Amino acid sequence: MELIILLICGGLTIITSLLVIFARNTVHSALWMVASFFFMAVLYLLLQAEFIAILQIIVYAGAIMMFIIYAIMMLNLRQEERAPMRKTKVVGVVALLVLFLELLVVAVGRGLLAIKGPVTDQLMAKFGHIAVLSNFLFSDYVLPFELASILLTAGVVGAVILAKQKSE
Amino acid sequence: MYLSGNLNTYLVVALFLLILGLYGMIQHRTFIGMLISTELILNGAGLNFMAFNRFLAPNPAVGQIFTLFIMGIAAAEAAIGVSVILAVYRRYQTSDPEKVDDLHG
Repeated sequence: MELIILLICGGLTIITSLLVIFARNTVHSALWMVASFFFMAVLYLLLQAEFIAILQIIVYAGAIMMFIIYAIMMLNLRQEERAPMRKTKVVGVVALLVLFLELLVVAVGRGLLAIKGPVTDQLMAKFGHIAVLSNFLFSDYVLPFELASILLTAGVVGAVILAKQKSE
Repeated sequence: MYLSGNLNTYLVVALFLLILGLYGMIQHRTFIGMLISTELILNGAGLNFMAFNRFLAPNPAVGQIFTLFIMGIAAAEAAIGVSVILAVYRRYQTSDPEKVDDLHG
């Protein structure tokens, strides 16, 4: 059962990502992106990360796609709609293919083996998912957490300043 | 069961996300398309972190925290990216990266 869901959602993630890249219209591309985020949220659920799955939908499909759709709305993209892709650069595509094959060998190969640590699925189920996560977040990782909040504040202020109309 | 409960399936999906994102980065003709491709790449990274976290990590919460931070960084990056695109569009009246090519406008 899990295998079927994994294969369907993994395949659909790949297919919707293909549609994101090859859609002729930028708005369609953004909407396929939302679909792709939803299927990835299902993959996160299969990895037993409910909190991250919900955040994936709220943050990516909600907030970030809103940004991008607003940007499409404010720009006049109509003249580019006919040809969303530029002429293929052969060298770049060949390099990309080589990279793809290389990483595929690593990803499908069986060299990635390790031992599971002390925090098992049972422990996660016992204490609740968010409890374990926030314990780490607010003790060991409190410095990156605060840095992330500074980064987000700086991002918001910088975005407002950059996008502000010049008053003169 | 080879595929289910296996790291490799997730890695292949993340690999496709990375490669499609890179392809979009070099092929798209608008800044918005490049921004969307960047989101694909970051998503692939997040999926990789989650998969390694689930199957290999000595401490299965760390990868999820990393994914959280990736989401935060992606949000900040999208905000800054969109406003930079707007500022460039206001100055050059285009969103084609190839046309934005003079150094002192």
